[in-house]
Amino acid sequence: METGPVTQYDFTVIRNEPAAQGIWRLVITSEVARTIKPGQFMNLRVPGDNAHILRIPLSFKHADTKAETVELLYAVVGEGTERLAKMRAGDTSTLVGPCGRGWWLPKAEGRALLVAGGIGLPPVFAAARQLAEAGVGFDVVVGNHTAERHLMQEIDELRSMSAGEVCDCERRVVVCTDDGTLGLDGFTTDGMASLLAERTYAQVYTCGPTIMMAGIAKLAREHGIACQASMERMMGCGFGACSCCNVALVAGGYALCCQDGPVFDAEEVAW
Amino acid sequence: MSTVSMAVNLGGIQMRNPLNTASGTYGNGIQFEGFYDVGATLGAITCKGVAAEPWNGNPAPRLTELPSAMMNSVGLQNPGVHGFVERYGSYLTGLREKGCQVICQIAGHSLDEYRRATELYEELAPFASGFEVNISCPNIAAGGAAMGATPQAAAEVMSVVRPLTQRPVIVKMAPHDVAEIGRALEAAGADALSLINTIPGMAIDINTRRSRVCRPTAGVSGPAIHAIAVRMVWECAQAVKIPLCGIGGVASGADAAEMILAGATAVSLGTVNLYDPACAPRILKELEQWAQDQGVSDINELIGAFEC
Repeated sequence: METGPVTQYDFTVIRNEPAAQGIWRLVITSEVARTIKPGQFMNLRVPGDNAHILRIPLSFKHADTKAETVELLYAVVGEGTERLAKMRAGDTSTLVGPCGRGWWLPKAEGRALLVAGGIGLPPVFAAARQLAEAGVGFDVVVGNHTAERHLMQEIDELRSMSAGEVCDCERRVVVCTDDGTLGLDGFTTDGMASLLAERTYAQVYTCGPTIMMAGIAKLAREHGIACQASMERMMGCGFGACSCCNVALVAGGYALCCQDGPVFDAEEVAW
Repeated sequence: MSTVSMAVNLGGIQMRNPLNTASGTYGNGIQFEGFYDVGATLGAITCKGVAAEPWNGNPAPRLTELPSAMMNSVGLQNPGVHGFVERYGSYLTGLREKGCQVICQIAGHSLDEYRRATELYEELAPFASGFEVNISCPNIAAGGAAMGATPQAAAEVMSVVRPLTQRPVIVKMAPHDVAEIGRALEAAGADALSLINTIPGMAIDINTRRSRVCRPTAGVSGPAIHAIAVRMVWECAQAVKIPLCGIGGVASGADAAEMILAGATAVSLGTVNLYDPACAPRILKELEQWAQDQGVSDINELIGAFEC
């Protein structure tokens, strides 16, 4: 994918508020919106604390190139994201981006299947918009531990998203929970299996916990479907300078999640 | 802009200013071109350590964050000298043309590997202004820090590399016994010394009882280690006559100035490149301003000017 050079941009917080249990919605204005592509990420600095030196790498849900706004969703999982959740409208900082290689459009004709687990939803949502704009039909599986963790606004948007799809079959959005509190009582692999029983796909897009993506990749392989997976790693820089975010490859050796990914052909990853 | 001459000479490597980069924190320079004009800004860059043959490096996880620091165990993942020259040779040649020196780092598991890497660089890397021999990587099972653990072992690596090149040879030192080992390296023909490499540390996940990175110990870097690095530069500067490149937690012009006062001729930016990748022009400006405020006409007047 053709991307611009990674650089540093200022950003200003427009909104930063809870979106689901432990999940926050952050809307910023930043020039990075002009060039960042679905599946890429940005590395945000949260100001005001010298004890936490590393930036926070976040994927995004949607970038509005005209308004120069970016909408992100993030899970509050540690001290860094706790401090990010304290940023208020009008607060400013810097981000590094656009980082990495994003999703690519399916190489074969046919429908796409999007599978998101937990906070893997934002980049999958970005892929959905990319597919819709390209006129590629898709179905979605969204999984979480429990109902309260689900991003209901995004699930509704995925159901209603339209943009000249050429496929005439109705979009299926399968919501799963591990504890059965909403939708299908099971994992995203169960949701994917139920759709595979009814429909055929040319491409799978997935982002979520590694163990989940390994299962999704395996199912895709068994059905002969190409699969793209957006990987997550602890990152030092986000642009290939430190080699800390390695992803083991089937071919041997390592790729860097930040530079060669975060989106990988699932067949190349040594799960 | 500045009335102070900022040029320094690091053991035969003539730098337009004292700013260098710490190997392993700067890719091979090209990753930073979106942040500033690397060739027009820095005195030198030090490339990622490269061995004769490609190394895969260590498995994940390679990184964890610590208070004002990070700890890595990358294990010198590198494409080998051939791959390095093929991928980065033309870019690095361009840096030289812009007046930025290019220091290539030699890595090895054994004396023979150091020899072969140096020979390959000599054959394939005319763009190298000089070399830095890494005898202090804490993250590899053989070679690395073990090669620099004693004055004898360190000098032995130098005795292999030194006869193979006319270009300046810097040695990257581990954070211990820097006076004694520094003297041995000077006697063995090192043109300059760079210090410190990361400090071996541990971080344990108390729930899993496992290391937070892929090996039990790994290298700690960042602002938390700056004071230790300054102390070691000062100790080494008392012991040797060859110039030093100060490395360790430098994140501002003031931090760089401390290194220079402690005895460093050049100063490398390391971990700061990861979290503040656009920092170099700012740090250079701050350093120039400090030199000007000190009332000197040449920054060399401030090297080792610490008054105890």
